[in-house]
Amino acid sequence: MPLLRTSNLTMCDKSWSIIDLQDIRYTVQQMTTVVGLKCVDGVVLASDRRASKGGMIGSKSVRKIYALDENKAVAIAGQLSDANYLINLVKAEAKLIELKRGFQLTVKEAAKLLSNIMYSGMRSYAPYVTEILVAGIDETGPRLFEADVSGAITDEDFTATGSGSPMAFGLLEGSYRQGIKVSDGASVAARAVKAAMERDPGSGNGIQVLKITKEGMEWVDIGGNGQ
Amino acid sequence: MMPKEFGYDRPFTLYTPDGRLIQVEYAAEAVRHGSPVVGIRGKDFSLMVARMKDTDPLIDPVEKIHIVDENIGIAGAGYTGDIDLLIDEARLEAQRHRVIFEDPIDVRSIVNHITQFMYQFTRYSGVRPLGAALIVVGSDRTGSHLYQVDPMGLMISGKAMAIGMNCENATGILREEYRDDLNMEEAIKLAVKALSKADESGAPVEVGIATESRFMKTNLENALKRAKEIQDKIKKDKKENS
Repeated sequence: MPLLRTSNLTMCDKSWSIIDLQDIRYTVQQMTTVVGLKCVDGVVLASDRRASKGGMIGSKSVRKIYALDENKAVAIAGQLSDANYLINLVKAEAKLIELKRGFQLTVKEAAKLLSNIMYSGMRSYAPYVTEILVAGIDETGPRLFEADVSGAITDEDFTATGSGSPMAFGLLEGSYRQGIKVSDGASVAARAVKAAMERDPGSGNGIQVLKITKEGMEWVDIGGNGQ
Repeated sequence: MMPKEFGYDRPFTLYTPDGRLIQVEYAAEAVRHGSPVVGIRGKDFSLMVARMKDTDPLIDPVEKIHIVDENIGIAGAGYTGDIDLLIDEARLEAQRHRVIFEDPIDVRSIVNHITQFMYQFTRYSGVRPLGAALIVVGSDRTGSHLYQVDPMGLMISGKAMAIGMNCENATGILREEYRDDLNMEEAIKLAVKALSKADESGAPVEVGIATESRFMKTNLENALKRAKEIQDKIKKDKKENS
């Protein structure tokens, strides 16, 4: 099972950007379920804990949600190495900007910083094969963005990515409502990941949920390690 | 032979016949016109104090102590532009380390990087040695550290030191009154006393404290208040671990 088909990019014809980006988008979405939810008093991210290596389960306790700072976090799908590298880069850039100007990046600025790097990757024929949800809370309130391989970002109320996203979306479309509280949002997100884990072979091994509110971050682990 | 009017203090960094680099010495002289900074290293902490630049009631006071990363702070004396360049470089190096290792940088490595950076300015023609000296205060898993960096790219580690205008006055006090068993509150008071000998301006004092792999910057009143808290916490942790 091909996880990465980026090598195709350098050999293809003029229409590479359409065909192969779709190709990559497809491969990116393999093997993960991550969910993001914007609530009235904060944001929620949830993920499964499975990492796949081809047809095999590579790890049963992998992290897919990472804090950028005290009030921003990302959830990742796709190539783990690309995502980790990107996150380190964005954390470093964000910290430098924060130290220089004396106040933190907004969630949108962080998402844009991330997607600009992804865009330049795509434009230089070496894309970061990952899709990333950026969630957080700032002066403008709770925010949720989705950044993809091409460097596009979209502003979302709720979203999911990874191979389990079709199942997760099924539940989210039915259960998400405007004005939902973080406490309820967390259970909706966890249920969406659980639904995906039931039917998607690329997702499993427990759920991790991150709640971000004005009070700070709260991590919740459900199941995990071999279940 | 060089033309007569071409002295040893031209824009090149050029040795004099007795082996001195006059341009670098001029840079050190520029530092001695900068407002002073005093640093003290205690048993399980290190700290620095400086007065904010507060020259005109119409101008907002300028901060002197800069946060480099969560565990390191730097204050400089000399040309502000040169200090800012060094702060930028230090911050960049700290983040480079994080991108590679996902952990905060240790104090010695960052000081070493800064000295190498400064040293390059003493070797090439067309550049001028940076007119800045730094006090670096930080804490990592090897303990708390106090360093001084000067324009020739020299790295000095020590228990108590001062840079900038009239620093010898401050150093005099430090030499007389420094003890190895100073607690944090006593150290802050001694540092401020030494600073006041060098800088009599009465502008607000900033304090930077590094302990337990954290660096914090605050004003004098808060620092004295927090000193007790932090000291008590260190004592308590030690009791629990012994």
